[in-house]
Amino acid sequence: MSAPREPLRRVLVAGGGPLGILAAIAVRRALPSCEVVVAGGDPGPAAFADAAPTAMPFTNKLHDRLGIAEADIVTRAGGSYRLVTRLSGWGGEGQGGVVAYGEALDPALKTAFARDWGKVRLPGEGAPSVGSLAQVLAEARRFAPPPPGEPTPISTVDYALRWHPPAYRDLLIAQAEALGIGYVPGQIDRIEPGDRDTIRAVGIAGQGLIEADLFLDCTGPQAALLASHPGFAFTDWSASLPTRHVYIGEPGAPIIALEDRLTLTGKGWVSEVAGIDGRHVLLGTPAPLPRAEAEVLLGGRALGAVAMTLGRAAQPWLGNLIALGDAAARFEPLGPLHIDLAHRQLALLIEMLPGREITALERAEYNRRSALMMEGVHEILALHFAAPAAQEVFGTHPLPGRIAAVIDQFERRGRIPFREELPLLAQEQLALLVALGWTPGLAPAALAADTTAETQARAAFAAEAEAALAFAPPYDQWLARTLQASRAPAG
Amino acid sequence: MRDVPEPVRVVVLGGGTAGWMTAAGIAKLLPVIASVALVESEEIGIVGVGEATLPHIRGFVEKLGIDEAAFMKATHATYKLGIDFRDFGKIGESYIHPFGSFGEEVAGVGFHHWWLELARHGMAREIGDYSLAVAAAKANRFRPPAQGEGLGSTYGYAYQFDATLFGPFMRDFARGIGVERHEGRVVSVERDPASGDLTALILADGRRIEGDLFVDCSGFRSILLGQELGEAWEDWTHWLPCDRAAAMPCKHATDDLRPYTTATAMSAGWRWQIPLQHRMGNGYVFSSAHISEEQACEAIMAAAEGTPLATPRILKFRPGRRSRSWSHNVIGVGLASGFLEPLESTSIYLAQMAITYLIELFPVGGRIDPRDRDEFNRLVDMEYDRVRDFLILHYHATTRDDSEFWNHVRTMRVPDSLEGKLELWRRAGRIEKYSDGLFYDASWIAVYLGQGMLPEAHDPRTAMIAPDALARATERLRMAVTGEVATMPGHRDYLMREAARLAEAA
Repeated sequence: MSAPREPLRRVLVAGGGPLGILAAIAVRRALPSCEVVVAGGDPGPAAFADAAPTAMPFTNKLHDRLGIAEADIVTRAGGSYRLVTRLSGWGGEGQGGVVAYGEALDPALKTAFARDWGKVRLPGEGAPSVGSLAQVLAEARRFAPPPPGEPTPISTVDYALRWHPPAYRDLLIAQAEALGIGYVPGQIDRIEPGDRDTIRAVGIAGQGLIEADLFLDCTGPQAALLASHPGFAFTDWSASLPTRHVYIGEPGAPIIALEDRLTLTGKGWVSEVAGIDGRHVLLGTPAPLPRAEAEVLLGGRALGAVAMTLGRAAQPWLGNLIALGDAAARFEPLGPLHIDLAHRQLALLIEMLPGREITALERAEYNRRSALMMEGVHEILALHFAAPAAQEVFGTHPLPGRIAAVIDQFERRGRIPFREELPLLAQEQLALLVALGWTPGLAPAALAADTTAETQARAAFAAEAEAALAFAPPYDQWLARTLQASRAPAG
Repeated sequence: MRDVPEPVRVVVLGGGTAGWMTAAGIAKLLPVIASVALVESEEIGIVGVGEATLPHIRGFVEKLGIDEAAFMKATHATYKLGIDFRDFGKIGESYIHPFGSFGEEVAGVGFHHWWLELARHGMAREIGDYSLAVAAAKANRFRPPAQGEGLGSTYGYAYQFDATLFGPFMRDFARGIGVERHEGRVVSVERDPASGDLTALILADGRRIEGDLFVDCSGFRSILLGQELGEAWEDWTHWLPCDRAAAMPCKHATDDLRPYTTATAMSAGWRWQIPLQHRMGNGYVFSSAHISEEQACEAIMAAAEGTPLATPRILKFRPGRRSRSWSHNVIGVGLASGFLEPLESTSIYLAQMAITYLIELFPVGGRIDPRDRDEFNRLVDMEYDRVRDFLILHYHATTRDDSEFWNHVRTMRVPDSLEGKLELWRRAGRIEKYSDGLFYDASWIAVYLGQGMLPEAHDPRTAMIAPDALARATERLRMAVTGEVATMPGHRDYLMREAARLAEAA
């Protein structure tokens, strides 16, 4: 007869940034009987998963499950909404495109768009049609989160949240405290090995040893625990990912916008996140830039620079130690992929929550899926640098995984081969490929079909877009009302 | 206007189920860019594998624009909610592998973990009691699933039909949309000396059928892919020893019309019972290394209920697949490319899968890009290998030691890809997860638990809820399942409701 596994009694989370705190919350909620302790401080700006001012839609779902209310992020942590990311310059001067979330488009409509994108345009002919309801709304600056549980004209629009990182961390701390999660400040100064390849305890400067059944390494790129493990091995990505330096800009003036930007310049890429707490800018380059030059591209003062090492832990779970986020994978912060990866890995850990005795095969299965997730990120990043103009700035690099096949299939057939555990859905990849400058081919069946279905799908989309615009309020007005209401005295 | 390249001349060899499905699929979905001819020989006849199907067939039929009722009428089809496996784990035990789920995840923990915890306290009913598809099947009831997300939407359905009628139905459909049929036997093949690609099939009467792309649906003989191109065969007999079937249709013995297929383990294999509108398909799938054809025929005659409509007919097959299903300009579909025994009704699915990928990767204009060929082979191999492991599980997860056959399959070394899955289940009650492929979590759980392969341990979180509270919650679910089933019509009643789907009275 099968018996429940003996549950974990204590879990130590190393790293007190938002990721470590959220991981602690997740474990504590899954196992209320388990003592959870967070040790150490926020790993700092080079831990991109922790420092992220924004995430992707997966995080919304994880937050929901963990009791982190979206409304609290909006009213207490400087939250705002992103519907789309606008990419510019990757396919060449003046080229660009918009990437929305979700997979709500009718296949016939996708074919219709592919036909538009692939068409040779005459001078004076307009740009291709808009590819999603999210883009329609973002360009009209209209949106409010649709009420859950009832169908509305904008219910299919998926979105990501932004926030003010310190306020987001405070929000998580409040939640962690309410759940009785312990906190031990101080640096890790000792790792006590246990049986075989496990850790028995971790020493915190001035606080003594903390024993635990399971250790989570959320210490950012230094991977304070994982990198010290005798079984640690690193899979190098530097051949395929060319960003070597990342410059962090001082947050600029607040912006109210439903879109963020990823722009390729002659020196490197620039990521702009439109926070209502300020504009967050990052610049990634293949070679070091003089400060003044970097600041021109950042559009303001540079707060710091990070020299990148790129790659991932061959096995992020060793013994009773699991690394999450930057402790497991290091790569350029080209979009909010760090936090998205970290949160998907965290969800995987909770799905596969082990008992006190960890079996080799569950570790292997976690590592298999976790590695697929990391390599999926690797592929999506490499796709950016395979774009025509990016190669001029960053040079030409070997394409990892199945990226060459994906580009080939997309260009010739408009087909996106399925891969497990990718950060982007097929439709999101399609939009990304177009935004990066590739032209989709048509599927054989689309070549053969008459275009009646596509014409109908276009008409249906136009009607949906009209209904969405009529339904959604101007975003700035909605945000102002919401924030005002939350500041009104209670009662 | 679009530039349309010259149509690719597709030649399909073989007029069985796979051949006519391929011809129909290409002709319907790739008009203008392909023209389709099919060569078949009446002297050769067809195997007509697969009387039971998987829910995917509905997508295929729908995509071709075929009316479900007309299709059911033509093939004497009934509805199928799953397969009832009897005596596999142990003689006297049975379970239904449904086209649907068991219960639902609670607090992020899969239902089967909660069920295992309940079972530990002696408070669990059969896991099938928490599955709407299983409960409906057992009650001989059927109704198409509801839209949306409620309990009524937690299952799918397929058909049980007469495979010897399905091929001709597809033939009529294909010929109606312009597929050219050539009657004749292929005696030789012409190839381009430079590329080695096929250029024409030569028939016995001297006719020459030219083509740009050849689809080999010639069954096990694999005339083009195997014989002509010599594509190697990976034999899987050591894992799946059944290599014969003795098939014998019977009249229905009772008025019950089961909305499911029955697979009953036998001493050297298993036998099927597939209820069609007018008859019951019966057959014994066996290992010729363990019993003779005569013994198998005797066994099926003894076991089958209802008056036999024919004497048993022997079918021969061998499990395995070609190392490449697309080589040069030849694509194998169906048995010419691979075969897995019909235990989980996968034959028609595997043909359909290959057709779908061929259409996606079709060489428009006729020039084959090796990258498309590689992609096709990658996808086909992955599907075959995953189905293979799942089938092996049915034999390996057993305590039966009553025959040489069962001793062999119980103790054999399984593929490493399966061994890892088994160990993960044994130690932690978890399923190796993938999103691509045919059988997901619920299917693996159905077989593991149904065949008595309980894990040693399950999720630690299940111990946090008091057993009584857990029992109450699962009982509410079971009552909801029972209540839903009570509102469903009987399978026969539902089928009879619409005359359009009923075949002429036999």
